[in-house]
Amino acid sequence: MTEKNKYEGYPKAAPGTHVRESDIREKKISYSWWEPEVQYSWSLGQAMSKFLIGLKAGKILGVHCHRCKRVITPPRMFCEYCYGPTEDWVELKDTGVIETFSISYLDPDARRIEDPILVGVVAIDGASPQHGFMHYFGEMTKDEIKIGMKVKAVWKPEDEREGSITDIMYFKPLKEGDE
Amino acid sequence: MTFGEKQTDPTTPMHWRGDMQADYFYPAGIAGDKFFKHLKTNDSFLASTCDKCGKIYCPSRLYCEDCFEEIPENAWKEVPASGTVRLYTIATLNAHGEKLENPTVVALIDVDQTTSSMLGIINLVDLNKDYTGLKVKAVLRSKEKREGTMKDIIHWELL
Repeated sequence: MTEKNKYEGYPKAAPGTHVRESDIREKKISYSWWEPEVQYSWSLGQAMSKFLIGLKAGKILGVHCHRCKRVITPPRMFCEYCYGPTEDWVELKDTGVIETFSISYLDPDARRIEDPILVGVVAIDGASPQHGFMHYFGEMTKDEIKIGMKVKAVWKPEDEREGSITDIMYFKPLKEGDE
Repeated sequence: MTFGEKQTDPTTPMHWRGDMQADYFYPAGIAGDKFFKHLKTNDSFLASTCDKCGKIYCPSRLYCEDCFEEIPENAWKEVPASGTVRLYTIATLNAHGEKLENPTVVALIDVDQTTSSMLGIINLVDLNKDYTGLKVKAVLRSKEKREGTMKDIIHWELL
């Protein structure tokens, strides 16, 4: 069989049209829409609760594992290396180093966007090397962001904080003498 | 804070509550769109016939499910919104498993002049009645209230 008549006898391509947002809004097409109620309640536990209370107060908290000699953030009650209980809470700096990052051209709803979102892992200063959490990066372009870059947290105003990881809005580049 | 100093203040955030947005959007497609737009302004259904095997689809389809043949534009026809009960079940629980105050009769109805069936609710509830083979007619919303979905059929009534 040659390439040319490979699809002989097949039905023609199915007719189709792209659905635009305006078609849905103006009800030009027939559709069903359902919004299920999917609520969840995540039990934070002792360590994460204290961490979030710390964020509300503008502090990044960590916890010590004396056996492994490391400072962990986000804190947990157990060290996942030695399974021993963690002890001694420490207040860490709100600065850190970009450990890894992504340039995302999709927003949280998977819509394509022109201005990319910068996300990545920040190793927090005061915690052990490579210990930190994921967050947004701001006040820098996709060309400026680099692994190893020094960054500083940009906090929400105190009255808007609610005990959430988003109480830090993003991490901005740390300039000389900013500390 | 170690094991010795557990949090006992009930006002501290111990749970993170959230609402997951998981909207469900189902466009009816080209054939379905035609079917529902017809239903919006008429008291009948649209059906489409397969030229090859003679199956008559209601709600109408663009392709025959059996022989994958495309159904041409001129093979569409209007059929009455009535039918025969093929089988039925009496639901005593709702979708959440709670006991219903009034049980509902859910039936598979063979639509008249077609070879297709539709699921529907029969308004008369009689636990001892055998519904199979009974003639039914669709009760539709008033034309102003129709929105072009399956919900435009309120229920089916016995003839």
